[in-house]
Amino acid sequence: MKINWRQLQSNIDWMTIIFAALALSTGILLYIKSGHNSVFTSLVSSFYLLLKISPVIVAAMLVGGYGQALVPHEFVKKWLGNKSGFKGQLIASVAGALIPGGPFAAFPIVLVLQRSGASYGICINFLTAWSLIGINRILIWELAFFEADFIFLRMLVSLPLAIFAGYYAHWLFGSAQSDDSIDSQEAVKANEKEQQC
Amino acid sequence: MLVSFVILAVILTGMSGWAQMQTVPPHKQALTQAWVQLKSLALRLPLALIAAGFIAQLLPQEQVVAYVGSESGITGILVAGVIGALLPGGPMVAFPLAVVLIEAGAGQAQMVSLITAWSALAFHRILSFEIPLMGAKFALRRYLLSVPLPIIAGLIALWII
Repeated sequence: MKINWRQLQSNIDWMTIIFAALALSTGILLYIKSGHNSVFTSLVSSFYLLLKISPVIVAAMLVGGYGQALVPHEFVKKWLGNKSGFKGQLIASVAGALIPGGPFAAFPIVLVLQRSGASYGICINFLTAWSLIGINRILIWELAFFEADFIFLRMLVSLPLAIFAGYYAHWLFGSAQSDDSIDSQEAVKANEKEQQC
Repeated sequence: MLVSFVILAVILTGMSGWAQMQTVPPHKQALTQAWVQLKSLALRLPLALIAAGFIAQLLPQEQVVAYVGSESGITGILVAGVIGALLPGGPMVAFPLAVVLIEAGAGQAQMVSLITAWSALAFHRILSFEIPLMGAKFALRRYLLSVPLPIIAGLIALWII
């Protein structure tokens, strides 16, 4: 029987290998420090945690799937285009909070934003809102692990921070924005060249 | 956990209803997307939880909680921010560790600071996504200006509670 190595490689990706290495090394350390009983107890409690969060994660993945199927990324990009001022910041923050998908979805959008001429502050609005209030992560991960009142407190506290970070970014690095856009124009040109080749 | 599941079930019902109203309902697309993500988690999630469990056993929990307990105030918020910025890995490793600290008696405002620090300053995301895509200059600037955010978040939380 022939093994499909490429298939196997894509299933066991490097993140999984890192987690496996982390689990193995910490397990060995714990065995040396406290013996096999604590390793066993820890494994059992991890198994119960897995059982507890699995239904939430399955439901969250379905919600994420619908989110990505229903909200096309083009729509987000169109709304964020070249907007500036408070309205632009607000839209960028709300879009960052609502964008479905993990870092695979968020960072390419920021790149497009930057290349289409959005200010550094707007990019920061989007990224800060995504990292602090990202509904995607709250639905999938926070609901699975934390109590609802803690999640609510953290969201409430984070709401003003995304807008604040945008202003603050503009104030700190606003003057350096022009050379960034030149950089990105060059990057776009380089990209176009690569595509032509 | 039941509350979380009910919230998700309500959202899921709403979204599948919205999908049903489209001219071509994208149910299959959504299910495929969810399946692809679940498949990639099937091995990774259990491993991450096992690792987080071991790390939690190795951490000097009592000492850590002494610094970030609910009576620790602003000092606790600062310490929690530093811990959050250093937490390894994605939500699969970071969140179970945070849960261990909460159960051991860490304060809510301090945990807000910890999770905010992890969200804005986590190294794994900067190294694997932000620097390759946005460049080191962009990432460094964003990192610097994000440093005060966990402290502000913790202070607001302290004020609300």
